[in-house]
Amino acid sequence: MIRRHFLALALTTGLMAGGFAPAAQAQMAPSVDQPVTITFYNYNLASAGIGREATLDLIARFEAANPNIKVEPIAAPSNEVLSRVQADMVAGLDVDVAQLVFRDLIYAAEQLGAQPLEDLAGEELAAHAAGFVPNGLALGAVDGKTYGLAYVFSTPVMFINRDLFRAAGLDPDQPPRTWDEVKAAGMAIAQKTGKHGFFPGAYGPTDGTFVYQAIVISNGGKVREGNRLTFADKDQADAVAMLRDLMDSGAHARIDVGAHLDTFQSGNLGMFLYTSAILNRVETAAAGKFEVGLAPMPSFGDKPTAPTNSGSAIFMFSQDPVKQRAAWELMKFLTSDEAYSIITSKIGYLPLRLSTLDDPRYLKDWYAANPKYKANVEQLSRLTANVAFPGPNYRQVENMMKDAMTEAVFGSGDPRVVLKTAQDTAQPLMPQD
Amino acid sequence: MTNRTNPGRIAAHGVMVALSFLAIFPVYWMIQTSFRSENEIFSGGLFPAAPTLKNYADVLAAMPMLRILANTALMAGATTLAQVATGLLAAWALVRWRFPGGALARSLIALSWLVPFQVVMIPNYVLASRLGLLDTVAGLVIPNAAAAFSVLVLYNAMRGFPREVVEAARMDGAGSLRILAEVVLPNLRAPLASVSILCFISAWNEYFWPLLLIRRMENSVVQIGLQFFMTQEGNDWGPLMAAATLASLPILALYLVLQRQVVDSFMKSGIR
Repeated sequence: MIRRHFLALALTTGLMAGGFAPAAQAQMAPSVDQPVTITFYNYNLASAGIGREATLDLIARFEAANPNIKVEPIAAPSNEVLSRVQADMVAGLDVDVAQLVFRDLIYAAEQLGAQPLEDLAGEELAAHAAGFVPNGLALGAVDGKTYGLAYVFSTPVMFINRDLFRAAGLDPDQPPRTWDEVKAAGMAIAQKTGKHGFFPGAYGPTDGTFVYQAIVISNGGKVREGNRLTFADKDQADAVAMLRDLMDSGAHARIDVGAHLDTFQSGNLGMFLYTSAILNRVETAAAGKFEVGLAPMPSFGDKPTAPTNSGSAIFMFSQDPVKQRAAWELMKFLTSDEAYSIITSKIGYLPLRLSTLDDPRYLKDWYAANPKYKANVEQLSRLTANVAFPGPNYRQVENMMKDAMTEAVFGSGDPRVVLKTAQDTAQPLMPQD
Repeated sequence: MTNRTNPGRIAAHGVMVALSFLAIFPVYWMIQTSFRSENEIFSGGLFPAAPTLKNYADVLAAMPMLRILANTALMAGATTLAQVATGLLAAWALVRWRFPGGALARSLIALSWLVPFQVVMIPNYVLASRLGLLDTVAGLVIPNAAAAFSVLVLYNAMRGFPREVVEAARMDGAGSLRILAEVVLPNLRAPLASVSILCFISAWNEYFWPLLLIRRMENSVVQIGLQFFMTQEGNDWGPLMAAATLASLPILALYLVLQRQVVDSFMKSGIR
């Protein structure tokens, strides 16, 4: 982790020292009339299996439909793709389209020169976004302009081990809808089966901030207001205190934060709140051992939940007008009905375009055969943007928030004091107004 | 009571057996996990209930594993050769000639060992990009062609070599390179073997530089290949363990072939 931070710092310094600055806007070409090659930095390509195969399939289909455009795919793991983009910019290589996680949104827009899509493709963007889920375009917006086009993403859903529910005397067809019910079910599972009750994928080395944010925003909280950190304020702290209460009651598992998914897959966890993108993986591991169920994320009493997005957006960095057109055509294709039919059915992410679920040309048959996705699809009507942090220290700030939340839940100190101390320490790292 | 039945000795052996078990068990777990089916990965038990080769088939289907292993072997072999060659010549120069600044040069080489590779990674990347070395094995090898470690180990080994023998060879008319090749080198087999093995293992395990430099799966090396089975959405433990087992085999084979020499050389050269 230290090395990773060091690399990010070195790259940032390199960009600054190299005089890197976003270039002035150019007018995007109306079409691509000559052969052109664009680069596509992608983290699904840096995995062996369906994510890579589906992405290569998408690129092949795009190239077949756009014979003048060749896409050079560049693979990098999701944690490293930003570093790769930065390094290539420092080296003077062309970075045209990049898939970046949402935490990098503001940094990409303000420091890396991502193109605001309204300025380049205003009417085309509006027409293309007409079929998106509500708030779909807002996921990649900074100061009212779209820099990242939401691409592969999901929301937190509750995975249920139905066998453990039955063993604890609970009805798996009536999974907990509120946090109070989660507490009761978690305690029952822990006491009657000796297994773990509940765990959210909000901590640890994998990116769980979207789960954490989904919980605090569902309680009416926000992790920041402009440049002022607010993750220790009342509603947010109350949400974390609720998790701590689950922990103290025995309903929340006290396990290695990096092993939550493995614990659920091994059949030792009753409820697991995490991205629905793991559904295929979970079902494969559970086959023949236990039955998997899905439920919407729990709510705070009657308050509506605010599921935030995991996953990534695609950003355009091209400066050349013809490459910008080629990049825009690729971005449109990757967020088209055809593409989401592949992305959803093959990889397991959610479709940004809900009409594909009713269309027999796209996902209708697949959706009918996979009703478990319903819980997640229903949450899309309340989709709330995951909040990225601004300024060059955004990753440190986010990590400090995540570490404080982990300590508040797993530690013995007053969770509100732990959060407040971390917030006061992190605030100077935020940009000054 | 004989020494063999001394209780202290028995206890010491017991501790060593326990530590050996601790060292070997993760390797055993990696291998047996690689033979488990997908829904049995998280089951307990020391043996897979229904051993399968599917994980190995999946690895070979998901990526050109043999080519990746060949890339890694080429990269690690070339890096080792380069580091040993440059280390040998630099050490010979430092031992053979007394010149102004010699001690300073030696100190600087030692100090350079303390500089993390991450510090020079970005300048190296920019240079590699300008030279057209991105995505090539040459790009992986060239920035690592010289290593302070090999210079210092070989310097220490050569320093103990009798100067009288070198002087005698010189009086017989032999040049410096000939003395190095025909007189010194035959007596440096142990430290050369230990340096070579450590350089090879270090290059084989390299992660950050290949991660930055390599852009396509078919040009990748094995440590990056392993990463392909680890994602934010979880790890594919079966194929990951199969790939890790395959990645360990060349190093294991190297050790088995050179086992005696490795142990001897480590003891003699003081590398433990």
